[in-house]
Amino acid sequence: MTVTESAPADAASSAPAPSPARPTGLAGIFGSDDHKVAGRVWIVVALVGALAAGIAELIVSIERVDTSGIDVLDADWIARVFTFGEVGGVLLFLLPLTIGIATYVVPLQIGAPGIAFPRLSTAAVWAHVVGAGVLVGGYLTDGGPYGPDLDGVELYLVGLGVVVVAQVLAWICIGTTVVTLRAPGVRLTRVPLFSWSALVASAVWLLTLPVVGTLVLVAFLSVRFDQDLLAGGPYGAVSWLFAQPAVYALAIPVLGLLGEVVPVFAGTRPRQHRVALGLVGAFGALSLGAWALPGLTVEADPFAYEVPWVAVSFAVILPVLGLLGLSADTLRRGKPRLSSPLLFAVAAVLALLLAVVAGAVQAVEPIETLVDGEGTALFGTTWTTGILHLVGAAALLALLGAATYWAPKIIGRTLAEGAARLVALVLLAGALVLAVPELVAGLLGQPAGLGEVPDNVDTVEALAAVSVAGVALLLVGLVVWILLVVKALVGRDLPGDDPWGGHTLEWATSSPPPPGNFASLPVVTSEAPLYDARHREEVDA
Amino acid sequence: MTAVTLDAVPAAPSERPRVLLYGAAFAAGASTLAVLALVATYLRHRADVLGAGELLFPEGTVLPLTPGTMNLVTLGMSLVTASWIVWALRNQDRVHAYLALGLTGLLGVASIVETFYLYQQTSMPVRSGVGVLFYAVTGGHMAMSVLGLLFLAVMGLQAFGGQLTGRDAEGMSAAILYWYATVGVYVVVWYAVYITK
Repeated sequence: MTVTESAPADAASSAPAPSPARPTGLAGIFGSDDHKVAGRVWIVVALVGALAAGIAELIVSIERVDTSGIDVLDADWIARVFTFGEVGGVLLFLLPLTIGIATYVVPLQIGAPGIAFPRLSTAAVWAHVVGAGVLVGGYLTDGGPYGPDLDGVELYLVGLGVVVVAQVLAWICIGTTVVTLRAPGVRLTRVPLFSWSALVASAVWLLTLPVVGTLVLVAFLSVRFDQDLLAGGPYGAVSWLFAQPAVYALAIPVLGLLGEVVPVFAGTRPRQHRVALGLVGAFGALSLGAWALPGLTVEADPFAYEVPWVAVSFAVILPVLGLLGLSADTLRRGKPRLSSPLLFAVAAVLALLLAVVAGAVQAVEPIETLVDGEGTALFGTTWTTGILHLVGAAALLALLGAATYWAPKIIGRTLAEGAARLVALVLLAGALVLAVPELVAGLLGQPAGLGEVPDNVDTVEALAAVSVAGVALLLVGLVVWILLVVKALVGRDLPGDDPWGGHTLEWATSSPPPPGNFASLPVVTSEAPLYDARHREEVDA
Repeated sequence: MTAVTLDAVPAAPSERPRVLLYGAAFAAGASTLAVLALVATYLRHRADVLGAGELLFPEGTVLPLTPGTMNLVTLGMSLVTASWIVWALRNQDRVHAYLALGLTGLLGVASIVETFYLYQQTSMPVRSGVGVLFYAVTGGHMAMSVLGLLFLAVMGLQAFGGQLTGRDAEGMSAAILYWYATVGVYVVVWYAVYITK
């Protein structure tokens, strides 16, 4: 007692104990509980997945040019490359990139000092890395969904299962963060649209990925015990993710980014923020896809769930049009600056609009393929593949746009503006050059898989050749964007804390943000607190 | 009471974020979907087999109803004891909280033991379509039960290591929310697997 009641010997001894030093180097990457580190790792891993899946898609598109046989690789390998292009594109690229950007940006946008369950978030990203490695290992050991070696097939399924579990954990962290860790004043109705889209995406994926995980388990048991329990075999566990309505869930960030950047680059308040929140929520609800699974996987009766399927396919157009309308109104009322993030966002939503319209056309059963006397439904042709590619390209545009917009926060640099704009245009061109010929080929009866067509062979092959150029453009755009990031990192141009004149809380802290994210927070009374601070008179009026 | 006195009153504590509760709700939703998807796969297989005019179970297979029903009763009782934990924590009643937590754990373990007992009683061959799915569904639910029990145990240790109020009680509420989901899912499993057969 004597010791504790004595006066301190000097001023230094009464000072608060310094916080323990943060780990650096590898320990800082593997053992960090900082959401910014986890977010960066997700993004890097996703970009590696993007390049791998992109190359696989390029090989498949070249293979399609000659419908008479297998040219590039042998039959075993082309089936594996075909499935890897879709599995890798969605589960190793688009979803991890969405999770990475959300993990990094969402806590900053809502004024939180960190992410909910930070250790779980870090565990999720490393579990994903391990799972992705095992999944690729499965493909390389004669596995994959259609591989000849059952051990390799099982390895692929184990890796896929780990990837799914890791992403479920990551979405739990993101969703919980938005619901519980908002700064004072950031009501749920004032959450920035990108963070709201992350919350909607977390809800949708938490209702979707567990079903995928279960189907992967059933596929694994089918292989292990030599049973036929899953329509479509091991690939049936995930293939439904690549068709509407589930595929639209990939595009939820498209709407979030559009609503985020349009007011900033129009220099005005967002129009009808609450309505925009509702539209993003509606889009998310309509992209829930597990209910349609039986209708999509039973070969004998693909339209068993036809009425709700058709209804959803048409209804999903409305939120996209609604947000486009709100964005156009916001732009009309402001003074738009055509910056690269805005260009990415507009390009993304145009690709998405084309995708949902194509999806609605696909759902109308009277519309059939133009095969003489043998017209069949569009579902299952390259029309379906074209929709997947349009949605994927829209998500790619939106996510790269988001990474460009928040580059000052993520890497402490801005990307070269002119080159970034060019990348956005190249990616949009790539999306159209890839998908439009696929839609036309689907109309001409080209099946989604790799096989011969009964009619119109020359036209279909010519269209496939055009699609190769589309994939190549997308890959070039992606590689150039990565090079822009590298160039920005090497350069010494510091953008400042708020180079765009942002409206939301992430721009109130340094670039990149310090541990704990914020030294202090502005008063939040609307969905655009920094805009309010700059235009106090307008707000008061 | 003067204004001066009021000024001296410390500010109210900020609202608790309830991170654990919402996180548990998300996790419970995901786990529920996973097991229900297994049940759906089982039911679809059942419909396909019966629709083809074949027998669902291989000839001579016995699937007794009693262990499954006893499991349902056991888990139903655990709902009461789980709610008892929350009540005891909110009333700062350490003895009741210990007792209720112990009983909930006991009933949870009993549920797992009953599932293994069922595995001994049934002659369901694992190398059959329905056998694989039967063990997947019941095993999937058992895995959910184990997770729920671990969650309860960890939160119980945390709660009893500190004060039985505030955030500690919230952690226990989160674990119990997950346990409620576990029991709710079992009702579906019980009806789909043991009743419809």
